[in-house]
Amino acid sequence: MSVPEKTMGLGLKVLNRFAGLSLVDKLKLRKPSEQLLFQATRAGFVGIGAAARSFAAVNKLVRPARLAPGRERELFDLNPSEEQQMLREAVAAFADAELRAAAQAADSACLAPKPLLEAAGELGIGLIGLPEEVGGAGSERSVVSNVLVAEALAHGDLGLAVAILAPGAVANALGLWGDEAQQAKYLPAFAAASAPAAALAVQEPRALFNPFLLKTTARRERDGSYLLEGLKSLVPRAADGELFLVAAQLEDHGPALFLVEGSTRGLSVRAEPAMGLRAAATAQLQLHRVRVGADALLAGGDAAVYRDCIQLSRLAWSALALGCGQAVLDYLIPYVNGRVAFGEPISHRQAVAFSVADTAVELEGLRLTTLRAASRAERGLDFARETALARRLVAEQGARIASDGVQLLGGHGFTKEYPVERWYRDLRAAGFMEGALLV
Amino acid sequence: MKAIVSVKRVVDYNVRIQVKPDGSGVVTDGVKMSMNPFDEIAMEEAVRLKEKGKITEIIAVTIGGAKNEETLRTALAFGATKAIHIKDEGEVQPLTAARALAAVFKKEGASLLIAGKQAIDDDANQTGQMVAALLDIAQATFAGKVDVDGNKATVVREVDAGLETLEVDLPAVITADLRLNEPRYLKLPDIMKAKRIPIEATTLADLGVTAAAAVKTVKTVPPPSRSKGVMVKTVDDLVAALKAKGLA
Repeated sequence: MSVPEKTMGLGLKVLNRFAGLSLVDKLKLRKPSEQLLFQATRAGFVGIGAAARSFAAVNKLVRPARLAPGRERELFDLNPSEEQQMLREAVAAFADAELRAAAQAADSACLAPKPLLEAAGELGIGLIGLPEEVGGAGSERSVVSNVLVAEALAHGDLGLAVAILAPGAVANALGLWGDEAQQAKYLPAFAAASAPAAALAVQEPRALFNPFLLKTTARRERDGSYLLEGLKSLVPRAADGELFLVAAQLEDHGPALFLVEGSTRGLSVRAEPAMGLRAAATAQLQLHRVRVGADALLAGGDAAVYRDCIQLSRLAWSALALGCGQAVLDYLIPYVNGRVAFGEPISHRQAVAFSVADTAVELEGLRLTTLRAASRAERGLDFARETALARRLVAEQGARIASDGVQLLGGHGFTKEYPVERWYRDLRAAGFMEGALLV
Repeated sequence: MKAIVSVKRVVDYNVRIQVKPDGSGVVTDGVKMSMNPFDEIAMEEAVRLKEKGKITEIIAVTIGGAKNEETLRTALAFGATKAIHIKDEGEVQPLTAARALAAVFKKEGASLLIAGKQAIDDDANQTGQMVAALLDIAQATFAGKVDVDGNKATVVREVDAGLETLEVDLPAVITADLRLNEPRYLKLPDIMKAKRIPIEATTLADLGVTAAAAVKTVKTVPPPSRSKGVMVKTVDDLVAALKAKGLA
C-alpha cells in the first residue's frame, strides 16, 4: 500500500470512529431507566409514561407456563382449520386495509406509525402465542397459525409486519424456553395493551454471517453475571427497544441467547436505514461491556434451543416472504390483464404470461414447504430440512418474483407511485435475514 | 334486555359471481363465503349497544347447513353472547327465515331484532319487514343511526328523500344500512375464545315453523355483457350517433 493510500485509510478510520461516537451521543437513545408503575389489572399490566420500562415480576409462577404441543392430525390435510382460517382472515382484513395504506409513508419515514402498532396490539396479534397463565390467549402451540398470521400481515406490508411481529419474537422465545422467573418478570408486559418494543438481535454486520459462529461474545464473570461485547445489525425498532434477546457466543460453550433490557448500561444504537424493511426502523445495536445478571441467560444456553430459535426465525421469514410475494402476484394479475399494448392486454404475450405463471408456481411451492415445516415444528418434530428448503426458495425466488413484478409493470414498476418497487426492496431482505422474528 | 341479530352466510363480496351453466343458480363450490356485510354492521351495532349498557345479551341466529357454523363463530368473535343455529339444508326463502326468526324472537323474549337491511346474495330486502309483520311489532328499516333509551328506540333512516327520524316502541325490528357504523376488526383472542362457546342447534320443526314456498326461482342468468364502445371523431359525430340511437 502506498503512503498516500495509507494516510487516507487512517484518516477515514479516525473519522468513522468519531462519527460513530458522536452519533450515539447525539441520538441520546439510551434514556436512564425510569421506574415504571405497573397497575395490576385482570388483562395484564399497563406501563405508565416512560419509553424504556424496567421489568419486574408481579406474580410468581410456580413453574414455567408452556404451550402443549399441537394435536397430531391423522389425515394429510393442508387446509387450515376453521379457527386458523378465521385468524388468517381477521389479520388479512386488518393488514390489507391498514398496513397497505400506511406502508409508503412508513417506508419513507423509516418508522412504523405508533397508532398502527397500537391498533395491531389491540387486535391481539401478540397474544395468540402466549400461554393463558400469563395473560395470553394460547392454549396449544400453533406454529401454523403463527405462519398464517405472519403471511397475512406481510401481504399488507412486509416492513410494517416486521415492526409488528418483532416483540412477539421475544415473547414467543420466553414462552417456549424462559424459566418461571424470566416468564413472570417479562411476559405479563407483553400481554398488556401496549406491548414493549422488543426484538431478537442475531444478525451481525460482516461478510458470510453465520448465526452459529457469532462475533458477539459473552463472558461469565466470577459473580455469575455475564459480560456482553459486540455489534448486532438490522435489529427492528431498536431505537426504542425495551427488551432485546441477544445472540452471543458464550465463552467455552457456544451460541446462546441473553435477555438484555433496553435501559442496560453499555447498550447503544445507531440508525441503519437499509434498502428494504425501512418501516421496521432497523438499526445497529452496539453492546460495549454490557453486564447482565445470571438470570439473563435463556434456557441455560442450551444448544438445541438456540438452533430451534434460529430455525423458527428462518421459518418466520419464509412466511413473510410468502405474504409479500403473494401481494406481488395479486397485484400483477389484474394489472397484466388490464394493461393494453399493441391492441391487446399484455397478458396475451407469452413472456408476460409465463412470468406470472412462474411466480404462482414458486409461491405455491414456498407455501407448501413453509406450511409443512410449520406443521412439523408444531408437533415437536424436527423441521430443519423443511425450513432449509423454504429458505432456499425465499432466497432465490423471492428476489426473482419481486424483480419480475417491477419488470412487468414496465416504467410504472420503477416509480414510487406503485407499491411493487417497495416489495422488491423488502423481498431482497427476506433472503438473508436470520433472527429478528419467531413463529 | 335481549337483542337478536340474524346473520347469513353469503358468497364473499370480493368474489366475482359466476352463474352455473344450467342456470340453476350461482357457483358456490370452492368459493369464499363470509358473513353478509350488512349483518356485520348489524352485529357491530348490537355490540356497541351492549357496550353502552343498553342491551345485556346478544343472540346471533343463522339458518342453513353445517357450514353456517363458521358465520356463527364470527358472530361470537364479534361479541355475541349466545348463538343459535337453525339447521336446514334446503333453500331458505325470506318468508321461511322471517317465520323462524319470529319464533326465536318469541321464544327468547327478545326486545330487538337487529338485521342487515338485505343479504348481498339475493338482495331480497324482505326478512326484517316480514318478521315485524309476523310479530305485529314496530319496524325501522335502513337505519343510519340507532339510539335505544328504555323502552324506546330512536332510529334515523336513510330514505330516498333524505333522512327520516323515527321513534319506535320496543320490541322492534331494526335493519342496518351501510352507513350505520364501520364494523371493527375481530380480535384474535376473541376468535380463539369463540371456539369454546357452545352453539345451540335447533330445526325449523323444533320451532314449529313450516318452510315457505312463496318464491320459485325460474332461471339464473348473468347480466348481459357490455358491447365494445365506439370511438367518434367529432362532437357532431357524437350527437349524430346519439340521435341515431334515439338518445338525443
